[in-house]
Amino acid sequence: MEALLTRHLDPVAPLNLVAYQATGGYRSLTSAFDLKPEKIIGIVEAANLRGRGGAGFPCGLKWRLRGADAPSPRYLICNLDESEPGTFKDRYLLYGGPHQIIESIIVSAFALQAERAFIFVRGEYAKGGNALNQAIQEAETAGLLGTNIRGSGFNLQIEAHLSGGRYICGEETAQINAIEGKRPNPRHKIPRPSTHGLWGQPTTTNNVETLINVPHILLNGADWFRELGVNGGCGSKLFCVSGKVKHSGLFELPCGTPARELIFEHAGGLDENRALLGFLPGGASTAFLLPKHLDVPMDFDPIAKAGSRLGTGSIIVLDDATCPVEVTLNLMRFFARESCGFCTPCRDGLPYLTQILTTISSGSGRADDLALLDELCATIASQSFCAFAPGAVMPLVSSLKCFHDHYEHHVTTGRCPFNEANKNGA
Amino acid sequence: MNNILKELQKDLLHLPRTHPKRRAVAIPAMQALQAELGYLDDAAIEKIAQITGLSTTEAEELATFYSLIYRRPAGRHTVRICDSVCCSMRGADQLLTAAEEYIRTPLGTVTPDGALTVLPGICLGLCDKAPAALVDGEALGPLNDASLKALLQRLQQKD
Repeated sequence: MEALLTRHLDPVAPLNLVAYQATGGYRSLTSAFDLKPEKIIGIVEAANLRGRGGAGFPCGLKWRLRGADAPSPRYLICNLDESEPGTFKDRYLLYGGPHQIIESIIVSAFALQAERAFIFVRGEYAKGGNALNQAIQEAETAGLLGTNIRGSGFNLQIEAHLSGGRYICGEETAQINAIEGKRPNPRHKIPRPSTHGLWGQPTTTNNVETLINVPHILLNGADWFRELGVNGGCGSKLFCVSGKVKHSGLFELPCGTPARELIFEHAGGLDENRALLGFLPGGASTAFLLPKHLDVPMDFDPIAKAGSRLGTGSIIVLDDATCPVEVTLNLMRFFARESCGFCTPCRDGLPYLTQILTTISSGSGRADDLALLDELCATIASQSFCAFAPGAVMPLVSSLKCFHDHYEHHVTTGRCPFNEANKNGA
Repeated sequence: MNNILKELQKDLLHLPRTHPKRRAVAIPAMQALQAELGYLDDAAIEKIAQITGLSTTEAEELATFYSLIYRRPAGRHTVRICDSVCCSMRGADQLLTAAEEYIRTPLGTVTPDGALTVLPGICLGLCDKAPAALVDGEALGPLNDASLKALLQRLQQKD
């Protein structure tokens, strides 16, 4: 498949406005402004564009559910707070082509008739944020933003918000709090942000990768977009592959491409040609999959059927020289540290899980720790306030199942079989 | 500091009519002050509270929530070494140990010469460059013990 979303990315010298326009950039504005907003939403729905930020919610449906009669001001938030371990696709989009992001926000905001848009940029990407601000200024000067854009009667102002840096800010309602200058806890989802979001107004949040598909859908049509996918997937997808592979990287491929092709063809296979132990298909907060799942299409429904989530489409590869207990412990440390602390099951439960895993990993675990972990995960996931903790325990629950023998071995022998140093000690 | 504050206050006056609450400038104001001061001291938190209309406690609560807002002095150069899953699989833990040994001061503190603060950070979105670090906001990777030490040495000698 020809690269679509990454075609004009250049992280060293991203295209300025004139150069971007020379590649056909901002052409989708003409297509969009010729159409009625409802018509655009219909096309995006027909294209079956599903959210690329992790949840996979259909973009067109999200837009339609907001309602055309939503009161003004209406907001669009472009979520560029990528912090999911294993995920770096949005970094490429930000550093490589800020104008692509702006173009997609303009046409998407037009479909939603949103007069103000925010781009929520993760703090670690500050340099990319600066370049994005310059690009926004360029677009303003050229009349692509502001009032009555290209005589369409549509007004739009875009503002980049640089985060102070926390994983939870990627959550839709926490992000709204962050923009408002409040402590970024997730909010209760009733009333929904689509009616009572930013400053109590109708607010739509989309991941940046979701949005950059929209101009292409407008220019080429819904059928064309759907046919870009393979194995039942729709459209083009940015996949990240990292961990124990030869060539970690970003690969734009048809949605539905199986993990086998991603890992063994595009990422060059495993380090030292070692055997595959397992992989996380969609970032840190997804369930582990095993070598038997290599041919499952990397698409939302097939990966869910296999027991995990497509998430951000970011594969983290474990080889047979990597201790899955230690990897899981690292993931749990991450989630325990990044819990926003608002609700007790998450704030206290995740450190407790981490503590138990630490004892198992160091060889001091007890046989009944494994059942305790399972029980705690179920309690924490069901009793916590937002989707953070259920996501956080997902890799642990699946790790306990997929790599049960490894856990047993740690507990019964009192040492990690992967750690040479521990073999003689303890 | 006064210049930055004046500018911020001026910005607030000129915010578009539709712009809502003043507290929305809290994080940009903190970032601007930190760029000037290196970190936010108690006086800076007081100033943020004045500008935004937040109580000092609320400003403090916000500042301490975020990992990129510093409430303690930082070195002239900050090195955040990613310790999340992909970097860890590729040696980040050893890098952090090596860094701590080299700077002879605990992670998160300032070296006696005021040059460096090295600290662990969550996934930096640099998994394709693992193990990676963010050095004064610039991405670097993959690193090893030798290249990290050379980097720290270079930074110590730099202004």
